[in-house]
Amino acid sequence: MKAFEVVAARDARHAVALLAEHTPTAKVKVIAGGTDLLADLKFASASHAPDVVVDISRAEDLRTIAVTGGGLSIGALVTHTEIMASPAIREMFPALVDAAHTIGAVQTRNLGTLGGNLVTAVPSVDSGPTLVALDAQVTVLGPGGERRMPLAEFFVGPRRTALKPDELLVEILIPTENLGKPACFLKFGLRKGQALALVNVAASFWVDAKTQTFRAPRVALGAVAPKVIHATSAEAYLEGRAIAPEAMAEAGRLAVGDAKPISDFRASAEYRKHLIAVLTRRALEGAYDVWQKKQSPAGRAR
Amino acid sequence: MVTVTVNVNGEPRTASVPPETTLLRLLREQFNLTGAKLGCDVGDCGACTVMVDGKSVNSCLMLAGQADGRDVLTIEGLATLERLHPLQEAFEQLGSLQCGFCGPGILMSAKALLDENPDPSEQDIRDALAGNLCRCTGYIKMIEAIQGVARADGARPAPKSA
Repeated sequence: MKAFEVVAARDARHAVALLAEHTPTAKVKVIAGGTDLLADLKFASASHAPDVVVDISRAEDLRTIAVTGGGLSIGALVTHTEIMASPAIREMFPALVDAAHTIGAVQTRNLGTLGGNLVTAVPSVDSGPTLVALDAQVTVLGPGGERRMPLAEFFVGPRRTALKPDELLVEILIPTENLGKPACFLKFGLRKGQALALVNVAASFWVDAKTQTFRAPRVALGAVAPKVIHATSAEAYLEGRAIAPEAMAEAGRLAVGDAKPISDFRASAEYRKHLIAVLTRRALEGAYDVWQKKQSPAGRAR
Repeated sequence: MVTVTVNVNGEPRTASVPPETTLLRLLREQFNLTGAKLGCDVGDCGACTVMVDGKSVNSCLMLAGQADGRDVLTIEGLATLERLHPLQEAFEQLGSLQCGFCGPGILMSAKALLDENPDPSEQDIRDALAGNLCRCTGYIKMIEAIQGVARADGARPAPKSA
């Protein structure tokens, strides 16, 4: 690994001050859990390697999980293990727990952070689809203050985000209107452990209890486009439609048309298309299961 | 250079290292604790697994400076001069390791699991070992050894409540 200087940030504001200080004259990277950055730097060419690394791993203000006026706020430094253990997330969004569980292995989940996973922005990012399906916003802190945008727009392309060099991702926010919205995340990899997704899918929708129809349906696909995408034709098809297995299967077929999967050594585009249809249908079924269980928790126990 | 002080296996150790030094290299090259192994160096193989503040981590993916002031437990901290750790005894009895290269990492993952979950299911154990690659023994005898230790632990009389 090429030598670099490390400057440690006390908190988010200090980190942004350090970025402002160093980015004009040096190549700067931010380290949180290090699971992506250090693995990458060990193979980085000298031209790509940073001169300065801002260490935010002790910025305790980025480590909170809390329901605020804006919704469920998850600090960028919250680890995948902490997501899995959070009572609030387990209660409101078991899909986020499932997604965190598929990332890396115990050791990488103990180090790796939600913010880091999103900033790395690989197309197969496992924490992406569920958050996109829940209309999550991200808060970015820069020299001029905070700005907020949908996570779906924060992702720009493979390993590219809307983050400017002097900005820091500080918060992931699931808006109040989506708290407890039924959701399901499914990932298909070549193994159970430490696999990259061939396809990952999240589905989320409210159930209009009176009419038994889909309300605000969302389907998000990962690993089948340059970034995590909404399956917009599947979402449009489901809106207001009666909840039925056939509708879920048709949404799966439509989702295939929303994606642009590639062929690589892991799988062919054809196979990925097949997976999109199957996983989308199953994720919709899974989200409906979540909803049904919430309706009659006592009924399940009987 | 950065000066790093880490509480390693219950003893404070200090070294001055270049800032890009990983915790793994700090342990191996400065503290001569060569139990944690440098395998893939990118967090796939788990041979470098140690515990930091009670959690298992890939020490190849953590900067030494990020461990400053923290508690680090390595394989060297499991046994005493008199006696192996129960996990080590169980691995020895069942022949759970052949070449042994992955062993220190596997044992630290197993220790971290049992610290958090004294009564793991087989699936819990498999999940706990998913980040540790073994290419010669296979996992069955390791899982049996870990189950054996968990059961022996459970057989002990529960501590009396106050």
